[in-house]
Amino acid sequence: MPYHEFDCSKCIPERKKHAVVKGPEDDLTKALPLGYLNTIPGSISERGCAYCGAKHVIGTPMKDVIHISHGPTGCTYDTWQTKRYISDNDNFQLKRTFATDVKEKHIVFGAEKLLKENIIEAFRAFPEIKRMTIYQTCATALIGDDIDAIAQEVMDEMPDVDIFVCNSPGFGGPSQSGGHHKINIAWINQKVGNVEPVITSDYVINYVGEYNIQGDQEIMLDFFRRMGIQVLSTFTGNGSYDELRSMHRAHLNVLECARSAEYICNELRVRYGIPRLDIDGFGFEPLASSLRKVGRFFGIEERAEKIIEEESARWKPELDWYKERLTGKKICLWPGGSKLWHWANVIHEEMGLDVVSVYTKFGHQGDMEKGIARCEVGALAIDDPNELEGLEAMYKLKPDIILTGKRPGEVAKKIRVPYLNAHAYHNGPYKGFEGWVRFARDIYNAIYSPIHQLSYLDISKDEIPDDGGFKTQRMYSDATLPEAVKTSSAMREYTGKYDIIAELRKREYPEFNKKQ
Amino acid sequence: MPDINEKVAQLENFIMKKCLWQFHSRAWDRKRQNENILGMTAKLLCGEEVDTSKPEDKCYWVDASYLAENYRERFDWFSTMSNDEIKELMQALRERIDFVTVDGSLNEELKDPRY
Repeated sequence: MPYHEFDCSKCIPERKKHAVVKGPEDDLTKALPLGYLNTIPGSISERGCAYCGAKHVIGTPMKDVIHISHGPTGCTYDTWQTKRYISDNDNFQLKRTFATDVKEKHIVFGAEKLLKENIIEAFRAFPEIKRMTIYQTCATALIGDDIDAIAQEVMDEMPDVDIFVCNSPGFGGPSQSGGHHKINIAWINQKVGNVEPVITSDYVINYVGEYNIQGDQEIMLDFFRRMGIQVLSTFTGNGSYDELRSMHRAHLNVLECARSAEYICNELRVRYGIPRLDIDGFGFEPLASSLRKVGRFFGIEERAEKIIEEESARWKPELDWYKERLTGKKICLWPGGSKLWHWANVIHEEMGLDVVSVYTKFGHQGDMEKGIARCEVGALAIDDPNELEGLEAMYKLKPDIILTGKRPGEVAKKIRVPYLNAHAYHNGPYKGFEGWVRFARDIYNAIYSPIHQLSYLDISKDEIPDDGGFKTQRMYSDATLPEAVKTSSAMREYTGKYDIIAELRKREYPEFNKKQ
Repeated sequence: MPDINEKVAQLENFIMKKCLWQFHSRAWDRKRQNENILGMTAKLLCGEEVDTSKPEDKCYWVDASYLAENYRERFDWFSTMSNDEIKELMQALRERIDFVTVDGSLNEELKDPRY
């Protein structure tokens, strides 16, 4: 087994089995790190907790809902400033965050009364919102507060409201992934099948494992609507609580992030016979294949082809412009669970970037299987890295950029490695054809940022040039390009708008007659 | 002309780089996916009919037809093979994918009895 031992983790020998280098003769039966295990004591992990995985990843993107944490206010930290799962109802669920504000006295005397008061107060403060999710936290789980009983009391007293309870306290799993699992199963057990939807198309899907980061869901929804497909629900980005209660009526589950949402797809298949189709929404070729597959399932592939043709003609020249300037740059692909495998191959094929490392903090071995299978030979795959290992990897691999979350990203900046926010994005959406170009544009901007170029100079010892004037990104990126590429009229920089979602929300769609 | 092992390696590489269906979360899921999708792909490559009357089968067919189309497009040597040779090749591919994703897999979660 080609394990990789970090110098900084020699004092934690168990860590050795959590990193491998993909060798030229290795397949997945030879190179796979351990994963989804409790963090090893002594390793300062950067994972989220099971509560975070349930609420902040999956629950809170639901838009027409009061999301309340039964616990201290600190548990609601992740909101407007860290999360970007926007919604088309003025971001209600993102702008407002609720907690019962549990204090020490409640730990001693119980917090059920406090919870009930908070639920009623929240519903009264926002009378137009009739749906609520409540999340257990470590403190209230330990004192044994019965959230289900309180929620039922309120629903009995206020018959026009509906409440979903998620029992996924922070300690309820090795990482946020434990929370993904719990909320998937809780939702299908408690809520799916409770609402009968109005079916308006012959082609009905649930779009699952999509969280509308900076509008990703709305981009995909646009494609599906142009194909005449009814998206019954989105689990959960920009999704509606009641639509998600009607998931059982879809003809097909289209699954994007299997890491966070395969559980509900698997259960929908077992309980309701709805098949699961795994897709890739990132990159021209994978997205085109995905749209074709969905179209083919319903016998409307020509509608997908029309979209692919239009979008490719519009955006491919811009993707090519960036590919010319990004080819050969080294990248550490350090996002969450699914993006490492969504991107590992296509970012190499369509942008020319060389993936020198993949990591996941909370992914399972299944995610690493996909990621390692898709990346090139020589890549270092790390499970649940600690901060020192991340630093050591960057010093060793010398990437031109890392794609990761904002917390490890700030660490990278300190050692002068540019980073792009792979979780919440810099200037997304990144899904769709145009989105993929925006992603390439952001990577380009990060790698060739003049500020970053200046930061490579150490003012304590390097000579600081004072005769060159200010340099632009283009001066750096085009310095070694052939003249034919620099002056090519077949390629161009990104020409889209700053906000590409606002127009989508006003768009009108063709009507396709329903046959059945 | 590559030998059968080289052909299997090329076909496997395409699946690993471009597909996701082979990595469902449990051993029984993976075996079922491999059997149905690769079984249908073999039939399609041989010009045989496949039954897509049930939604589950139609979903397998979607992935299988994508695979068959790409195999024919990317690997010229398919056009020189007889149906018997294609079936033999696809059986070898199926065994290889079963080994990599299930029987020889290091993924300890595959044996978890529940989703």
